[in-house]
Amino acid sequence: MSPVITTRALTRRFGGTTALDDVGLTVGEGELTVLLGLSGSGKSTLLRCLNGLLPASSGEIEVLGVRVDRARPGELRALRTRVGFVFQQFHLVGRLSCLENVLVGGLGRLRGPRYGVPTYPRAMRREALDHLERVGLADRAFQRADTLSGGQQQRVAIARTLMQRPALLLADEPVASLDPENARVVMDLLVQVCLEERMTVVCTLHQVDLALGWADRLIGLRQGVKVLDRAAAGLDRDAVMGVYRQVAPDAGPVGDRHG
Amino acid sequence: MAEPGHAGPGPARPPVRPPVRPPLTARHARLTAAVLLALAAVVTSAVSLDVSLTAFTEGAEDVGNLIDRMLPARLDEPGRIVDLAVETLLIAVLGTVLATVLSVPLAFLAARNTGPGRLVRTGARGVITFCRAVPDLVFAVLLVRAMGIGVLPGVLALGLHSVGMLGKVFAEAIEDSDPGPREAARATGAGRLQELAAGVLPQVVPAWISLFVYRIDINLRTSVVLGFVGAGGIGFALQDALRGLVYDRALGIVVVILVIIAGMELLSIGLRRLLLTRPVAGRAAGATAPRDTVRVTAPWSRERIARFGSAALLAAVTVHGLFALEIDPREVFTSLDDIADMAGRMLPPDFTAVGGALTTALLETLAIGVVATAAGVVLSIPLGLLAAHPVAPHPLVYWGARATILGVRAIPELVLAIVFVAAIGLGPLAGAAALAVGSVGFLGKLVADAAEEIDPGPLEAVRAVGGGWWQRLSTAVVPQVVPSLVGSSLYLLDVNIRASTVLGIVGAGGVGFLLFEAVRTLNFAFAGGIVLLVFVVVIVVERCSGWLRRQVR
Repeated sequence: MSPVITTRALTRRFGGTTALDDVGLTVGEGELTVLLGLSGSGKSTLLRCLNGLLPASSGEIEVLGVRVDRARPGELRALRTRVGFVFQQFHLVGRLSCLENVLVGGLGRLRGPRYGVPTYPRAMRREALDHLERVGLADRAFQRADTLSGGQQQRVAIARTLMQRPALLLADEPVASLDPENARVVMDLLVQVCLEERMTVVCTLHQVDLALGWADRLIGLRQGVKVLDRAAAGLDRDAVMGVYRQVAPDAGPVGDRHG
Repeated sequence: MAEPGHAGPGPARPPVRPPVRPPLTARHARLTAAVLLALAAVVTSAVSLDVSLTAFTEGAEDVGNLIDRMLPARLDEPGRIVDLAVETLLIAVLGTVLATVLSVPLAFLAARNTGPGRLVRTGARGVITFCRAVPDLVFAVLLVRAMGIGVLPGVLALGLHSVGMLGKVFAEAIEDSDPGPREAARATGAGRLQELAAGVLPQVVPAWISLFVYRIDINLRTSVVLGFVGAGGIGFALQDALRGLVYDRALGIVVVILVIIAGMELLSIGLRRLLLTRPVAGRAAGATAPRDTVRVTAPWSRERIARFGSAALLAAVTVHGLFALEIDPREVFTSLDDIADMAGRMLPPDFTAVGGALTTALLETLAIGVVATAAGVVLSIPLGLLAAHPVAPHPLVYWGARATILGVRAIPELVLAIVFVAAIGLGPLAGAAALAVGSVGFLGKLVADAAEEIDPGPLEAVRAVGGGWWQRLSTAVVPQVVPSLVGSSLYLLDVNIRASTVLGIVGAGGVGFLLFEAVRTLNFAFAGGIVLLVFVVVIVVERCSGWLRRQVR
């Protein structure tokens, strides 16, 4: 397997806080990797460094053959069109219809601004509708996104990601804002489409049981430092819980959750 | 049509291809109709005002001459100008304080959750609406007639008109407050007033302070032109210079005005920072007090000193203002007779005196407001968006746009109107141009603020799919600012129509000329008719814009 993601000595600082400290990792093609760690341990920062939403302070990042840390803005945008991102808070535009939110995923293939569903090519609209059907929400296509439940909104966001036809999917706490039942439905859907599309996945999760159930590989972060990196097979709950322990409450600043 | 890459999982694809175009709903139809109607109104208004670019290009030479005669700016009798400037500032502060004192009880009576009963509530709302619908300069003209030339009519005019805005937004703040603390106060057996003081007041005061500071800003802009109608302040000297065609002295005075307004703007930004930022969590007042000293008052934290100091400063300025301007508050009551007498002479209102001229003037006022708003929206949206952090492609663009907006905001509309009258001649086009430019300072700021307050999530999502600047703007920013954009634009229309009723004072068209003529010639019945018509127009526009705002959420 050729690596899809390689980082070397990746460090990211926010002012005086070090969110990522000398992280090196390699993710192979088709791997389903789960990032574990407390809030503020640097998981979200790591994901955002991988597609360049946040620039790294130092270190090397190579994703899908592109050196993210050196890429020019145009190259970075071209890379992002091939990398799906699922956000904890869905990040839909509430006032727009579900279909239009899914179409946003295709923006990378288009040039110039778009306003309103009719301004997208017809073939693209059909494709978006198919993706909505795939996540079971075709009947909501023209409903405003903010009228949907949290679970449904995340499914729309997944359809938006599918619209990108990504080779790599980064998911930042995709189910943390959902109740257990919806979390299961969304997680099933996410894993199913990733397998079908043979996507490489890096996903942060809070639920250790979900992680153990789905992941090929687990990576643990604690205060920006990689403390665990093992294949999931044969790993038990207690070994994983170590990632969450041994953090003294006042052992230095913990990254800003709300920042 | 290319078939999409992914087929749906189910074999039972519907035989009919689903629509890929949003269905038409009644709401869409209503909105489309409203947009078409608005466009028709703009075109009709523009045609009726003879809007043409040639008027502006031909006026360029006149502007050149005017600027020639304005330069170099001259400040004659600097002592007197500074005195007048201070007087202007004090009028603005006193007027706003008066408005606040009147608005607080009115707001409690008018708010849905605190008003004592339907009748009182409607009455309080009526008073507030009336105050809003009568422009401040109209109040000033009438009060100067009733009480004589001086600063007191100016203070009262600002105060009364400001009640229209402060009363309304104060009441809205009360209606938005959390009912919980009130219920808790009631549960302890508190009386009705105690309940309001303990449960509601602490929640709304921050919003009120912010509104108060905002209103001082607005009133300062008005107070510099109050002198035009004999209600005190620096406007008197400005009008003097303009009448005497001493343009270099006029520019000197305008520069002084810009300096005061810019200074006030900076002061209000500072005040808002000082008073409205929350203390850092964990460093709560009292948390650091040693255990053995039993305090029964809050410690003098930085926040408390700032609050107390600002309140003391405001009180001192108010008292100083009363003495410095030689205002005897009792005079308000002794002149009530004169005011009532004048109000009585405005009744019954007379609509016939000028016949068709009144209708023409009123339509012209409306047309000025509509055209100015349309042009203002077109100018403000790009400028306002560029003055917002999520949109500005470069910090230099951001600061350039912000500075432009701030600069335009500092110039009172009547001063702009004078410039445009000089450039393109007397008439409504000058008024429309002045209001359009003035709109940029107002709407540009609202657009910028709205664009900075959007949810950054979708912006990040568009970046994450590889979207560029235009795509971020069109897909993540614009859809999120549309509701506040529509709301602000309609509010701008309200403001511009009210402003266009007083443009006549400098010969820039509209119903204002007739109104001031009527007051000057003591034809109060006719003045009453005009005031009533302006009132009706403003109410109708407010109602229409309220409906439209509810359609776009």
